[in-house]
Amino acid sequence: MSRLSLSQIQNVLPNAAPKHEHLLFEIESTDTSSVGLVIRAIYDGHEHQKFMEKLDERVKSHDKDIERMCNHHYQGFIDSIRELLQVRTQAQQLNTVILELDKRISATSASVIEKGEELVKARKVESNMAAAVDSLTMCLPVLAAYAKLQRQLKDKRYYPALKTLEQLEHHDLPKVTNYRFSSQITQQIPLLRENIKDASMTDLRDFLENIRKYSPKIGEVAMRHTAEQLVSEAEIIGRKKRSPQTNSLTGEAEEELSAQDLMDFSPVYRCMHIYTVLREGDTFKAYYRQQRKQQARLVLQPPINMHESITEYQSYIHGILGFFVVEDHILNTGNGLATRSYLEELWSMALSKIVNALRSHSAYCTDATLILKIKNLIMLFNTTLRNYGFSVGQLWDLLQEIRVHYNEVLMQHWVQVFRNILDEDSFLPIQVSSQAEYDHVLGSFPYQDEGWQRAEFPKKFPFSAMVPKVYQQVKEFIYACLKYSEDLNLTQTEIDEMICKSTNLLLTRTFSGCLSSLFRKPSLALLQVVQIIINTGYLENSTKYLEEFVSNITGTPHEGQLSCAGVQSTMFRVARDDAEKQICDKLKHKLDEFLELENYDWNLAEPQGHASGFITDLIAFLQSTFTCFTNLPEEVAQVACKSACSHIAKAILGILISDDVKQISMGALQQVNLDTIQCEQFAASEPVLGLPEGTLLQYFAQLRQLLDLFMSWDWPTYFHDYGQDSSKYNLVTPNMAVLLLEKLRESDKKTVFSVLKKSERDKKKLLETVLKQLRQLAMTTQQQ
Amino acid sequence: MAKTYDYLFKLLLIGDSGVGKTSILFRFSEDAYNSTFISTIGIDFKIRNIELDGKKIKLQIWDTAGQERFRTITTAYYRGAMGIMLVYDVTNEKSFENLKNWIRNIEENASSDVERMILGNKCELTEKRQVYKERGEQLAVEYGIKFMETSAKSSINVEEAFYTLARDIKAKMEKKLKEASNPPKGGGHQLKSSEPQRKPPSWITRCSIL
Repeated sequence: MSRLSLSQIQNVLPNAAPKHEHLLFEIESTDTSSVGLVIRAIYDGHEHQKFMEKLDERVKSHDKDIERMCNHHYQGFIDSIRELLQVRTQAQQLNTVILELDKRISATSASVIEKGEELVKARKVESNMAAAVDSLTMCLPVLAAYAKLQRQLKDKRYYPALKTLEQLEHHDLPKVTNYRFSSQITQQIPLLRENIKDASMTDLRDFLENIRKYSPKIGEVAMRHTAEQLVSEAEIIGRKKRSPQTNSLTGEAEEELSAQDLMDFSPVYRCMHIYTVLREGDTFKAYYRQQRKQQARLVLQPPINMHESITEYQSYIHGILGFFVVEDHILNTGNGLATRSYLEELWSMALSKIVNALRSHSAYCTDATLILKIKNLIMLFNTTLRNYGFSVGQLWDLLQEIRVHYNEVLMQHWVQVFRNILDEDSFLPIQVSSQAEYDHVLGSFPYQDEGWQRAEFPKKFPFSAMVPKVYQQVKEFIYACLKYSEDLNLTQTEIDEMICKSTNLLLTRTFSGCLSSLFRKPSLALLQVVQIIINTGYLENSTKYLEEFVSNITGTPHEGQLSCAGVQSTMFRVARDDAEKQICDKLKHKLDEFLELENYDWNLAEPQGHASGFITDLIAFLQSTFTCFTNLPEEVAQVACKSACSHIAKAILGILISDDVKQISMGALQQVNLDTIQCEQFAASEPVLGLPEGTLLQYFAQLRQLLDLFMSWDWPTYFHDYGQDSSKYNLVTPNMAVLLLEKLRESDKKTVFSVLKKSERDKKKLLETVLKQLRQLAMTTQQQ
Repeated sequence: MAKTYDYLFKLLLIGDSGVGKTSILFRFSEDAYNSTFISTIGIDFKIRNIELDGKKIKLQIWDTAGQERFRTITTAYYRGAMGIMLVYDVTNEKSFENLKNWIRNIEENASSDVERMILGNKCELTEKRQVYKERGEQLAVEYGIKFMETSAKSSINVEEAFYTLARDIKAKMEKKLKEASNPPKGGGHQLKSSEPQRKPPSWITRCSIL
């Protein structure tokens, strides 16, 4: 509207008069607020139509202007639109280019950023590495030292290890205290020390174990060297021309060398060193000594079966010797690890144990050769120990003790020897049929008999095979005794005494013992006893040859033997006496067997008129026995015969007064009388030669008197002469008579009719009177 | 006095030297054996108690020397013997052949009713045997006497031999006792009644002839 009004004003102004032109202008040029005033002004002038025309004209002029202007600007507008469209596409193009560019830039920059970041990281790593290298250069020497330590430990070079440890502890570790490994190592250090200690101790233990294994070997070598030395010394003594020093010296040197060479002592020294460094030297010494003491105890423990063989003894002795050789070596080289006093204490403890062990084990030994070997072993042991400076007095004493045992063993051995000889012997005189056999016997037994020597072959020696055998064995025994005394540094007198004593014991105890056990054999017949008696006689005669033999080997003058000779002559005497006693015993035993066959009928009314069977047999047996034993020495035969007669007499008397026999008839008594007469006949018949007449009869005297007294009923004489030596019945005691008389009375009681006869009654009365008197006599005798 | 035995039998061992008489006796009396040979001198004896059918019997066994030089001594013992063992060695032909001489000796010296027995000793030595058992048996049959092979060493038949001989003697003796007491006297006192005479059965009687 305003545009319209404006154009109206403009139109009015040019067309109407100047007043309209102005109003249009006003409308056109001013703003709307002035429109009101313009309108008023138009209306006030009543020119409105004129103005309207003027305004239309104006609007027509404006339209024409607009048209012309539009015509004029149209091409430009089209062109502009065209150009604008063109710009739009170009802008779009530009946009895509820019977008692409942007994309490309952002892609490129991403990798750059990445690289940048990497770079940052790398930088960081670089700086870290530098720091690590620094730290490592600081720690490495510590670790290297630690590694060295480990290596040294591994190589068992404990001493350097210990040094390294020291360095590590005081030098290296303080520098790296802020590291955990450092504190770990620090913590480990005492542990390592302990380990080193333990390890070196283990080494020592290994050593101790080894030394235990090698000790016997060392001992053996030491013994061997001593033995060689002894031999060479003996050679030197034997041939004084040779220079002695070189020999023994080389021997010594070799010995020292060998004992050490056998064993590596370095662990001990090392261990000692380590402990000294650790300032525990004393603990170690104590430990070592204690260990060795324990070992000593083990070594001193003898093997259970030591008594069985010499090798056991050897290993025992070698073990001990080895032990002390080692200790001696330690004493000399071990920096006070072993002291003299320690060793001496150990030795004195050992010595008593050794002595005990050897004593008890050798006591089990029953083999003489083994004992000899043991003796030699101990001797060598002694010498070796003495060379090492140990005192061995007790061992010498032990050797003396073992000698006693040795002799015992010899005796036991000879018991067997004698027993075998006696078992084998036939107890028949040796018969030789040729000079060779004859010489052979004489070669082993000294026997001289000139008349007999001239006799023709075959001839018989008076003794049996056991005599030369026993003689030889006694000689063997003396040799065996001497063998032990060898090298024992005994004086001749001591050896002499020893031999005499042993030989005496051998013969009095051993040989006699064998004989008496032989006598106990039931198979031994009388003849054998006789031969034994003869044999022992010859053995007795050989004593002086034995003495000569002893003095020959010991080299003592003959006078020195006299003391022994006195003793020796009794040597076989014991055996002989025993044999003589035996013959009597054997004979008595036989007689007893006969007497057991006795079967008297004590109620016998009338005697048989001849001797009883068993008595006849007995006498016949005695007669034949004494006839056969012509070779029995006279005095022995006499003794035997006497004892036989005495035995028979006692036996018969014993039967008569025995409690077992309750009653004896007169007839039975007469029978006994007959038997006694038979015996008396034998006694009077001189069964053996050389007895004074009546000697044998005397044994029957008591029995005879008793029988005579009862046979002759000679009581008046008995009572009258009683107590007088000249009495006919001086051997009959009242008691004996009472006993027999009571038995007669018992027997009489049985005969019932006798009481009726007057003579019988008188006889009975007399008997009672006699009995009463005898009892009184017996009472008085007892009281006296 | 109570007797310790009912009968006493006296036996005799004869035969060549070395056939083992002493060994047999030693085996029987001691039940032992000794290998060493010790020849008997003269005469020896052993006693052993045995029991037969409840009777106590004492055997007094005389062992004689086989050697010729003791013949006189040993022969004296034949007469008292109630039983005789003739011993030979099965490993020694000669000892067997000599049996005939020994039997003749018995016939000449011993009482006529003596019990005899032949023993072939050392029968354990089979390797060395010279005399077969059959020959021994045959000879025994010939003479009508008993025969056994024995071994003193291995203890074979020794007991049996002595028991057999003792049993035979006992049987013979009891038979004679019965005959002697034939006129019956009321029984029970048989032995007692014959005692005072002691005639045929008692060996003592035989001794008296000596």
